[in-house]
Amino acid sequence: MQEVLYQLFGPNPELREIIVLTLIMSFFSTVISAAIGIPLGTWLGLTDFKGKKTWLKINSTLMGLPPVLVGLLVFLLLSHSGPLGKFNLLFSLPAMVIAQVILISPIMTGMTANLIALNANTINETCLGLGISSKKMLGLVLKDYRRDYLLNVLAGFGRSIAEVGAVQMVGGNIQYKTRVMTTAIMMQTNMGQFEQALALGLVLLVIAFVVNFAVQSLRPRISDD
Amino acid sequence: MIELVGIKVLRKGKLILGLDKLRFEDGQSYALIGENGSGKTTLLRLLAGIIQPSEGQIKGVEGLKLAYLPQKPYIFRMSVRENVALAAKDSFDGAKSVQEAINLVGMQGFEKQEAEKLSGGEAQRVAIARLLLVKANLVLLDEPTAPIDVRGREQIDVVINEYVRNNEATLIFATHSLEQALKLADRVIKLEDGIQQAI
Repeated sequence: MQEVLYQLFGPNPELREIIVLTLIMSFFSTVISAAIGIPLGTWLGLTDFKGKKTWLKINSTLMGLPPVLVGLLVFLLLSHSGPLGKFNLLFSLPAMVIAQVILISPIMTGMTANLIALNANTINETCLGLGISSKKMLGLVLKDYRRDYLLNVLAGFGRSIAEVGAVQMVGGNIQYKTRVMTTAIMMQTNMGQFEQALALGLVLLVIAFVVNFAVQSLRPRISDD
Repeated sequence: MIELVGIKVLRKGKLILGLDKLRFEDGQSYALIGENGSGKTTLLRLLAGIIQPSEGQIKGVEGLKLAYLPQKPYIFRMSVRENVALAAKDSFDGAKSVQEAINLVGMQGFEKQEAEKLSGGEAQRVAIARLLLVKANLVLLDEPTAPIDVRGREQIDVVINEYVRNNEATLIFATHSLEQALKLADRVIKLEDGIQQAI
């Protein structure tokens, strides 16, 4: 533990950079996934259409996507011979974010759709009775559920910060470039440095707790809007 | 005139509404009475276009401007004024009507109150105020005053009556109160197990 505290506050910036990179990656993965999953999930929860059940089943399957499989697919997509190879994104932060968005968006979509479905009939009937258009209804519901969405966003963030398989494959755990907390823990474990791996795990846990606490403390402020 | 001919609504093979012929004349008020599960809500939802009949035809609803109050209307987690304003036009007249509607249902002083902190009866008043801003010629109300106390019901009955008259609308409402049915309706329709009964 002393070693980790030394690394955290000492002259070597590596651990601090790992933490910052982890937070940047998780922030972008969560925000992009929320921007996709929350409106899509709200729309899915509210709207009744042919094929909805199939769509939800597909989404449920995607919610359980193995990270390593996603990592492999994104790797193939971004590798030099892959269709997006020309962008030269492999082993970079954007590649890690892309992989995580593929993993987290279905989770946010599914959780949001389930949440909205609880009141979907009442909302639809109320809006129909008031002559409120579907587009306006979607906007109203997005605003109305903002506090509830926060929990979905936290779940997404939790998944992002703890994920290792996909980011290892597409990030490559490159020192000062793509090394994040989870890949650093895995590397330390592989090197047999269990104490350091455990200490890093503790730091990861503290970060997750602090972010959760900060976001949760925003909830009353949102309700006072 | 709205006409329902040979209507059957089935749910999991069971008949929940069966109407050979039923007419609703323009500008008239109709009360639907009957026990829970008698088909009142199903009939209103059918007229609102929320559900489709398994058999039969509904004539005369095309082109009608609808105002519909479900049994448990959704109240958005915003202020009373914002909730009522949802159905209003975004103008000075619209804002004036919002205040008038709030006053009519006796919710003046609650304008800034968060709707989620309201009691069941207060929330229902907000839902009714919201509906008053819809310019409709077909008004469907599902037990509009059920969560409201007895004194409040009389006030709301007057408001509903005036609203329907001002809009020259056809009113069809479900109620468990025969008194309310006789007060507001030109005709009372009794349903039992989804079938219209003679009164």
